[in-house]
Amino acid sequence: MRALIIVGHGSHLNEDSSLPVYEHAERIRLTGEFDEVVECFWKEEPSMRHVLDTVESDEVFVVPAFISEGYFTQQVIPRELGLEGPVTVKGDKTVRYAGPLGTFEGMPDVILERVEDLMRGRETRGRTSLVLLGHGTDLNKNSGGVIYLNAARIRERGLYDEVGVGFLDQEPEIGGVVENADADDVILIPVFIAEGWHTRETIPEDLGLTGEVTHLDGKRVFYGAPVGTHPSMANLIVARARETEPGRETQVV
Amino acid sequence: MSRAATDAAAAREAFAAWVEEAGEGGRVFGQVLVRAPEPGLFSLRHVEEAGASGLKLHEDPREAREISKTTEGGEYRPLKSSPNLRRGWELRVSGAGDLLVAMNYLYPAGVVHWHLHREGRLEVTSYRENAARQSGIYKRVQRLSDGGVQDTARACCEDAVCLKKTLWDVDEDTPLGMDRGDGEVPCPEPCSVFVSLARRVRLFEREKKRDLDAIGLSPSEKEDLAALVEAAATGHVEFAREAEFEKPLNERRMRYRRLTLAPKLRPGA
Ligand code: SF4
Repeated sequence: MRALIIVGHGSHLNEDSSLPVYEHAERIRLTGEFDEVVECFWKEEPSMRHVLDTVESDEVFVVPAFISEGYFTQQVIPRELGLEGPVTVKGDKTVRYAGPLGTFEGMPDVILERVEDLMRGRETRGRTSLVLLGHGTDLNKNSGGVIYLNAARIRERGLYDEVGVGFLDQEPEIGGVVENADADDVILIPVFIAEGWHTRETIPEDLGLTGEVTHLDGKRVFYGAPVGTHPSMANLIVARARETEPGRETQVV
Repeated sequence: MSRAATDAAAAREAFAAWVEEAGEGGRVFGQVLVRAPEPGLFSLRHVEEAGASGLKLHEDPREAREISKTTEGGEYRPLKSSPNLRRGWELRVSGAGDLLVAMNYLYPAGVVHWHLHREGRLEVTSYRENAARQSGIYKRVQRLSDGGVQDTARACCEDAVCLKKTLWDVDEDTPLGMDRGDGEVPCPEPCSVFVSLARRVRLFEREKKRDLDAIGLSPSEKEDLAALVEAAATGHVEFAREAEFEKPLNERRMRYRRLTLAPKLRPGA
């Protein structure tokens, strides 16, 4: 039997954080690819510490619902689940540990699907800039790196006049990025796993956004939903799991 | 692999059998009453509604997640073993597998821990072992005193606020002094809500050493007293959310104050 465990951050305060994990788990359950699809969290139950107790399968795939490689994916998750590397044998279970979602080659496609959702029925005019928004932090280079990585991958496709990045907690800060964008239309996509305080409050407040479309200093600013809640993330999670299996090619979703 | 090859599979069958053996009265697990009106059919509802009619009927075991998500007042439940499961629902499922799916949303990992505990095989992790693993902003819980752990456990884990039976101790040689609870759901290790409160209590311990005023009150104790007075004076005390320990009017934080601050304020009592 094969089990997929999706690891989310979770929250003690609201359901926003775990909701996409539950929704993606349900989507994947319906595909029937795994005998069991189980959610677990750092701050909610079941905890990572105990989730393996609840799994019946002998082949277990663990996929972190996190954007970047860093503190959680490298330290907290392996420690709490008792993983020793990409493959850990625990009793009669073989546990395969996948990489985070944001670095996956399928990620730019999900970002572009988010753009498509946002721009459906709307036309851009003049120069258009796509800006990927990340959390960023001074402590973890990877957290910003994954945003740059996706921006570079999308830039290669030549779809927009510019593809930029902006952060909450590091340079370049989102306010400046939007202001300095050399464009008539600016499309902002938060590269976050879930809706939450940042996507609902911090970002709109920092930028003075009033909804999906805001006119700011002669620019039209389009603000999309977080990438992590897009239904296609479920495919990405599955692809990440498949990739850990020996002899299976990475499948582009 | 045989059906009962793993603990999870064995737990699934053992739990269904335990419910079926109980006959009409059913079994109580946390705040859930589980009955088997006929073999292989299970009916779940809030234990206080054993004889109620007109409950909203659910037949998808995964709807248990919605049921367990918020309190009757609509508040998010970060700890599923808090005694604030909402009422007004009945969940009917067939088969041990669907029963387990439902139970795992109502009391995550509860059934497998119940099973392992009955078999004497549940691994228990002490507070000190758990704290030794912590990193980042939680690393400071390693410095929480034994007394601080005891008070945090009384504030956080007693049946008034958590229905799990607390099996862990401070360390190998230092048992918890609290009433561990009578329920069926075992708690083999401090949970994340506990660790978060422990972190807050550690912050309180630090300020006690540094910043006590002439009558021995710490800044945060005074902050809590002021917040209580101000809230009560409006005639309506609005509590902070269940795991919002940085706010004065949090129930567990107040339970901790009852243990540590109330005796200071009433020295003779
Ligand atoms: S640590 Fe305490 S509060 Fe947390 S689940 Fe166990 S008994 Fe309940």
